[in-house]
Amino acid sequence: MLEPLLGSVNREKVLLYLYGRKEGYAREMAAYFKTDLSQIQKQLERMEQGGVLFSRKVGKTRLYGLNPRYPFISELKALLNKTISFLSEKERESLLINRKRPTRAGKPL
Amino acid sequence: MKNVREMSLGELAAFVCTHLRKSGVLAVLTGGACVSIHSRNRYQSFDLDFVEEHDTDRKLLKRILSEIGFIEQNRYFKHPDTQYILEFPPGPLSIGSQPVVHIEEKRFRTGRLNLLSPTDCVKDRLAGYFHWDDKQCLEQARLVSQQALINLAEIRAWARKENMAREFKAVENMLAGCSVRCKRDDSASGRKNRGALS
Repeated sequence: MLEPLLGSVNREKVLLYLYGRKEGYAREMAAYFKTDLSQIQKQLERMEQGGVLFSRKVGKTRLYGLNPRYPFISELKALLNKTISFLSEKERESLLINRKRPTRAGKPL
Repeated sequence: MKNVREMSLGELAAFVCTHLRKSGVLAVLTGGACVSIHSRNRYQSFDLDFVEEHDTDRKLLKRILSEIGFIEQNRYFKHPDTQYILEFPPGPLSIGSQPVVHIEEKRFRTGRLNLLSPTDCVKDRLAGYFHWDDKQCLEQARLVSQQALINLAEIRAWARKENMAREFKAVENMLAGCSVRCKRDDSASGRKNRGALS
């Protein structure tokens, strides 16, 4: 939906994912959208350099999120919020509802 | 002209800023380097973060900075004679969602430096504290408040617009309490600092 505006479908995917889930890392985003990891990484790096995203290391993983200090953050969030409202209910639930409660190590399910 | 090796942070920043301006690039010093200058080195930064008023082609920027000995390494510019490094974070020049309206100018022997005012510098540090819960940022805001004239009413209004009024209220007394003494400003501009405006 935002591809004509953003110039990249992967950029849109990354932004929607981070808006919906607050934080994420490249590999899980690529897996979620079933897309090429390097393309997701490229968009993450570009948007971090542009100040749109922030990143932090957790162990060996680099987590990304929307930069709360980006000057257009509220406008960007409004745009992403509207975009999400155009997704099907299934897509919306899949993006927004993910397990956040802890899972004990070794638990089979 | 002093050698780059002998320049203080402020002198080097002014030297770079002046060279950029002569080459048509308007840039404003932000971040920790402003804390160093406004706190009179109570905090020491080695990063000189310049935000350009208008985006400059990176190749042009590299050429301009190479004229004064700075060479690009990754996203930074380094000089063999100094430990200070230059970075050009993306614009626009803003603090949170609000543009920077007033840009301060300080004169050094090495040139004129455009930088955030002490008030905007405190806002910038508070934004870091509010968003990242970074205690170092709060400490830097306190150091600037101790040493320079800040406008608490302006910071309060900024925090309200950023939806951070409650967070600001929690630190306002601390900032006000440490900025009531008269201080002599020993920067090259010779401007006198007073207490906080509220």
